[in-house]
Amino acid sequence: MTTDIAVVDRMDPARPGPAGRVHAPHERLRRGPGRWIVLAAAVLLAVAMMVPFAIMLLNAFKSPTEYSTNGPLSLPTTVYTDGLVNFWNRVDYPGKLMNSIVISGSVAVLATFVSLFNAYALGIGRIKGRLWIVMLFLLANMLPQEALIYPLYYLAKQTGLYNTQLSVIIIFTVIQSAFGTYLLASVFSTFPPSILEAAALDGASKWQVLWRVVFPISRPTLSVLVIFFFIWTWNEFFIPLVMLIDNSTQTIPVAIASLQGDRLMDAPTLNAGSLISLLPAVVFFLIFQRTLTRGITAGAVK
Amino acid sequence: MGTRKHGRLVAGLLVVPLVLAACSGGTDKGATDGGATAGATQGGTLKLWHYEGADSAMGIAWAEAIKVFEEETGATVEFEQKAFEQIQQTAGMVLSSDEGPDIMEYNKGNATAGLLSSQGLLTDLTDVAQERGWTDMLPESIQTTARYENGVMGSGPWYGVPNYGEFVTVYYNKDMFAEYGIEVPTTLAEMEAAMDTFVAAGIVPLGMAGAEYPAGQLFYELALSKADRDFVSAYQTYTDTVDFQADPLKYGAETFDAWVKAGYVAQDSASIKAEDMGVAFINGTTPMIVSGSWWYGRFVSEISGFDWGIFNFPGNTLNAGSSGNIWVVPENSANKELAYEFIDITMRPEIQALLGNNGGLPLAANPADVTDPKSQELITAFNEVLDNDGLAFYPDWPVPGYYDVLVAAFQSLINQSKTPQEVLTEIGTAYDDGVANMG
Amino acid sequence: MATVTEPPAGATIVPAPRRARVRSGRRVYWLYLIPGAVLFLGVIVVPFFMNLYYSMTRWAGIGDPKWIGFDNYTRLFTDETFWLSFRNSVAMIVAMVIVPTLIGLLLAAVLFDYLGKRFDGRVASVLRATYYLPQILPVAVAGILWGWVLNPQTGALNVILRSLGLESWALNWLGDTSTALPTVMLVMIWVQVGYPVVIFMAALQRVDPELYEAAELDGAGWFRRFRAITLPQIKPETFVVALTCTIAALKVFGPIYVLTKGGPENSTNVPSYFAYQNFFPKSQVGYGAAIAMVLTVIVVIVSIVFIRVQAASERREGI
Repeated sequence: MTTDIAVVDRMDPARPGPAGRVHAPHERLRRGPGRWIVLAAAVLLAVAMMVPFAIMLLNAFKSPTEYSTNGPLSLPTTVYTDGLVNFWNRVDYPGKLMNSIVISGSVAVLATFVSLFNAYALGIGRIKGRLWIVMLFLLANMLPQEALIYPLYYLAKQTGLYNTQLSVIIIFTVIQSAFGTYLLASVFSTFPPSILEAAALDGASKWQVLWRVVFPISRPTLSVLVIFFFIWTWNEFFIPLVMLIDNSTQTIPVAIASLQGDRLMDAPTLNAGSLISLLPAVVFFLIFQRTLTRGITAGAVK
Repeated sequence: MGTRKHGRLVAGLLVVPLVLAACSGGTDKGATDGGATAGATQGGTLKLWHYEGADSAMGIAWAEAIKVFEEETGATVEFEQKAFEQIQQTAGMVLSSDEGPDIMEYNKGNATAGLLSSQGLLTDLTDVAQERGWTDMLPESIQTTARYENGVMGSGPWYGVPNYGEFVTVYYNKDMFAEYGIEVPTTLAEMEAAMDTFVAAGIVPLGMAGAEYPAGQLFYELALSKADRDFVSAYQTYTDTVDFQADPLKYGAETFDAWVKAGYVAQDSASIKAEDMGVAFINGTTPMIVSGSWWYGRFVSEISGFDWGIFNFPGNTLNAGSSGNIWVVPENSANKELAYEFIDITMRPEIQALLGNNGGLPLAANPADVTDPKSQELITAFNEVLDNDGLAFYPDWPVPGYYDVLVAAFQSLINQSKTPQEVLTEIGTAYDDGVANMG
Repeated sequence: MATVTEPPAGATIVPAPRRARVRSGRRVYWLYLIPGAVLFLGVIVVPFFMNLYYSMTRWAGIGDPKWIGFDNYTRLFTDETFWLSFRNSVAMIVAMVIVPTLIGLLLAAVLFDYLGKRFDGRVASVLRATYYLPQILPVAVAGILWGWVLNPQTGALNVILRSLGLESWALNWLGDTSTALPTVMLVMIWVQVGYPVVIFMAALQRVDPELYEAAELDGAGWFRRFRAITLPQIKPETFVVALTCTIAALKVFGPIYVLTKGGPENSTNVPSYFAYQNFFPKSQVGYGAAIAMVLTVIVVIVSIVFIRVQAASERREGI
């Protein structure tokens, strides 16, 4: 990996302390009280944004009677877990969880790779008409989902993919990779050409350049894509609702929808169910956000 | 470095299940083809879908029915509880494919069962209904929603079988009534007087949810106080033109408007959802709500702080209400005989009594079997409406998408941003356009 | 990047073989487009044309469509709700593009440049996670939760306002036509802000720290460095955020569906929701398809404009 680049790890959480940071001498003087004010403001904003989640937590462990009598904003007097347990068993939560993970994970990985290939051709290869091609791919994002649903239903029926997870995976790979292609191609357009030329001069083929040079350098952006795609697909409701008929293939959002009937809804269980469906996505985000903070490039020019 | 490997490992792990899932994601059609259509009642499988909660009256009764069915026929039931939203949005698509069930619960009305029947997606049950005596078990007014001719209910072949009923009534907080010395009203004027008492005491008398169905249903109840059966037929089954600028609809809108002005209905309830309205009743904030029997079971289990009851909308013979959701047998069903057997079982007195004793409204139960006092209260009220041939269905049924029109229109009245005439014109135009489009 | 120039030596040493390599190299790049193109064809192109066909028919979703030519489109142009929904789209663009991008940029810079340096990197990561959390919450649940916060009688917001004595501020947030749209906009900002924060924070890492150091040595303050170095460096991401948020704003559906269902009195109806109303409750698939087509065309036009601007700015940078 001769062209592997290592740099200043700007925000590596594994290495706090001055060793990982570049400090100009006069900067240390600026570590004044101002930073606490800014921190307080940022934390306050975060707390304000978390209010709805706090409400969700309050209601996730509340019994239906308490919810109806004291309202959604009250503190539960006892921790009520029956709703959660019922929901878990009734919708076969572990099964749905697995379905969601399989679908979201597959889409995240596949769409990232498709985006990488597309963006490599468009951003770095700079093939002719690349702007129009990016636009064309973006069309996948521009079409409202309602417009796609009937055609996709018919196509899925024709190809025998109706009621399979593969149909959902394929559809979302295309939709998400449109965004990925656009983002990566935009970033790749500003890719330092000297690195590519250096690699080419070293005798590397296009394929090798992709994996040895471009891939490692674009890691943070690729991580962003994986995270976004996973989370966006995780919460997708409409297309799985239409494509996945058997309960065994369904994802979590569709399962949660069963808590809302025609006229009645089960609010505490809905909150409990949402909480446990949120958790995997949050965990995923927390794990992968560490990859967002890996240091990158530019020092490579040297 | 660790994260890089970690990322690759996770990615790799995720791709493997992908392949597996893709291969096995489809339905196993073998199971449903097992029960041959040649009237086999020994063994086989029945793919059954419904979307009633497991704790609801229907859920409990039907679970029992499944047990009885499996014992008696030896067949197994592949039951899947669906989300209402999925059925509502995708029923047409599902039933046009091979992935549908053998029998399922479906919504009654022109826009739902009517539409599917007109497309040939539902089995004609007329003969079976005759054979098995369902035509005799169900009251005439209930049968309206079981039969559809060219997608319009009321006549024609049987496409669905109702199992239970539902109607709109007035729930009231007995303790609050006692506190303010109010008697149960028997006329609309008495009800208005009762509401005046509450308003004077600073309490909003009638709970309302402008963002969902309750507003439209209140309007309908008011209109029905001046309507007759012919009007209902005209409005719901297009037997005649409907004049939106004349009574009874005019009366309904103007009275609704008057009630808002009098403070009977909260002026900031345009964005309130039905759930919040119900919760307000349960926690004793609201003295009365005009809503449906579907709340009954929940009120029974969750209201503890006060005494409550129901009374039918004072002075009305006609009330909003209909049969409950119906059992339909998709045309593509592979086990129709089994499906008919199951429907039959749900109509049996024991199952119907189970439904009745758990807060539901049975249609074919022996009155003696329903022992729970609270349930008896509900069933007596319902039977009163039935005996008067008083079921008038729901205001949003006539035209597809009318629900949204009504919600928007009555939000205008709650917000006092339009006059009743303007609202009537708005909903009238939408009605006429919708009916014209259906041809 | 500004300090990188093409070494003239390389260009003159071996000119001929280089050009040959470039020509054949270009062709190979087309191969990389194949997987994406195949998928795209099946999932987007074909359905797009099918939708175009449906938009010229009258159809209830099942059974046979009936050809009616451009009738749906002529009906659309006289439909008041349609125009109203597009007016609301403009509000959505403000709430989902302009405000979140600006706030997101500011937050990302503060978290990355300021707090990240003065405190631990972990602090910035935690804060970023909390700002992003609304993006992870399923829209249906968000709708219910916000409904509980904004309920005019019992909601958290009004309860707090009343307890602070601000009774007159306790408005009918989602029920009054004059406050409904702004309220929805505020909720959208809450939902959207995390997205630019995450993208911009990743983008900021691309910036060569040496550029900053050089500027600092020249005596440039934080804001000047931000304007002169940061902003130009993260231009690609800025364009991406702006365009994708605009597309999302034009297509927004979920939050409207759960918060207001287009109400009160249609005051928060947006094109996507209007299309949905026709596709599903009204079973007027042809009309819905026409609405979706018009929406798509508008989105395409907006995107073309964006991408042209983006390309022009790239060309100006000499990249």
